[in-house]
Amino acid sequence: MNPDPLAVLAQTVLLIVLAPLLSGLIKNWKAKLQNRRGARIWQPYLDFVKYLRKDMVISEHASWIFRVAPWVIFLTALVAGLMVPLVTAQAPLGLFGGALAVVGVLALGRFFMALGGLDPATTFGGMGSSREMTIAALAEPAMMLAIFTVATMAGSTNLGQIVLAEQEPGWKFLDAPHALAFAAMFIVLLAETGRIPVDNPSTHLELTMIHEAMALEYSGRSLAFVEWGAAIKQLVLMALLANLFFPLGLAPGVTLASFGAGLAFLAAKLLVLAGAVVLVEFTNSKLRLFRVPDLLSAAFMLGTLALVSTFLFR
Amino acid sequence: MNLPSIEISSRLITLLATLMLMLQLLLVVQRMLISNIRLFALQSLLLAVIAAVVAYVYGAWHVLFVAVLTLLGKVIFLPWLLQRLVRRIKIEEEIHPFLGMPASMLICGALTVLSYVVARPFTSLARLGNNTLPVALALLLTGLFLMINRRKAITQVLALLTTENGMMLAAIALTTYGMPLVVEIGIFFDVVVAVMVLGILVFRIRESFDSMDVSKLNELKG
Repeated sequence: MNPDPLAVLAQTVLLIVLAPLLSGLIKNWKAKLQNRRGARIWQPYLDFVKYLRKDMVISEHASWIFRVAPWVIFLTALVAGLMVPLVTAQAPLGLFGGALAVVGVLALGRFFMALGGLDPATTFGGMGSSREMTIAALAEPAMMLAIFTVATMAGSTNLGQIVLAEQEPGWKFLDAPHALAFAAMFIVLLAETGRIPVDNPSTHLELTMIHEAMALEYSGRSLAFVEWGAAIKQLVLMALLANLFFPLGLAPGVTLASFGAGLAFLAAKLLVLAGAVVLVEFTNSKLRLFRVPDLLSAAFMLGTLALVSTFLFR
Repeated sequence: MNLPSIEISSRLITLLATLMLMLQLLLVVQRMLISNIRLFALQSLLLAVIAAVVAYVYGAWHVLFVAVLTLLGKVIFLPWLLQRLVRRIKIEEEIHPFLGMPASMLICGALTVLSYVVARPFTSLARLGNNTLPVALALLLTGLFLMINRRKAITQVLALLTTENGMMLAAIALTTYGMPLVVEIGIFFDVVVAVMVLGILVFRIRESFDSMDVSKLNELKG
């Protein structure tokens, strides 16, 4: 199948524009729950514009990797986003491996983020990279298991076909394996986007930061791309979770009406999911780093049970 | 009573039972005592909803009575009692199990798979979604494991209560209409009274040993 250039363009614009709005919204809701007024939801746009205008300060010990990493992070998040069905059931790029490729491309982005943290040889960067890789090594298997569960039930790893298979009548997405896989995937979402039980996105305290520690040396344009990439990654993972497990409103074909309806459904699902994430962040405190494997082992176990139960009910 | 409504309700019950299992696994990972009690209350609420759905769909109105009893007793009364107990004896909030979290998670996962395998021959019997009996067995087994794995008396009481949740679920799942009302009320009051007695016992253990660690009961006290 050849990718439709119009669909690719539309989804790229959607990802780039929607991602900062989503993280702004989450920040704003969190502030409201904490009895603060909070920044306006379009604040991330203003931040990015400000970063783009500023000069970069780059350590003289940094190599070319440090300069390349922000672009790789931004582009991998974008490419992974193009492979996820966002508003219609068919993703613009569905050519290599579907779900596996999404996980792989996101892993490539994370690899470069860790390299970018290590490269200027600051202590914080190295610490952040090592923590990020530790968590990723635990979160990724759980995510794979959850995706495999859905893929096994649909009989394909192509995300578009998974979505279509779930839309068949019979309320397939209420099945037990689905619920377990959803729980596993939700915990992984919290870990991968650096949300509170795992990482605190709004602190620069040396003992707790993970993502912030890696991004500490970046400034100006690079920082904008690192942060924007992280926002897009968050949007991609949340859309993956929403559309894979609740495939309502995703039309198989592309017409203007179905596009509008898909957009409305996507917005509604993302709002609900963002609300859930904010509630989890608000009601929990950050776990000690050595407790994080406990949480992720729970996600892994839920994923395993989900996969096992698909085979037991055949 | 048309077919689609049964179809939907069976899906719904399967989903709710799975959520109960999920909460049980979260209970294994959760370290804070108060959160443990809240998770148990939530699990009991799901059980009450399952009972209510069964009562509504199959017109078995005495199951509705069970639902109300579960709601009053296990969602409101017992968590309140346990929380009060925790506050009164001012114990530290963290649970110290014998095995670490990842190891107990693995064991609970294995127990769940075991119960799926054991319950497999019976799944064709259950009309209420084929997932409920294995989940009930899993709750029973993991509840027993939790009881073994935890040191403090009050956390063992909580584990006993989740075991009882599993039994109730099995009763609803296996027979479709639940056990006879007398039996269910009997079990229910058994548990309520047991928890109240255990609460007093925990308080006494705490008074005379300055700790709730049951392994200290081996020490002789004059």
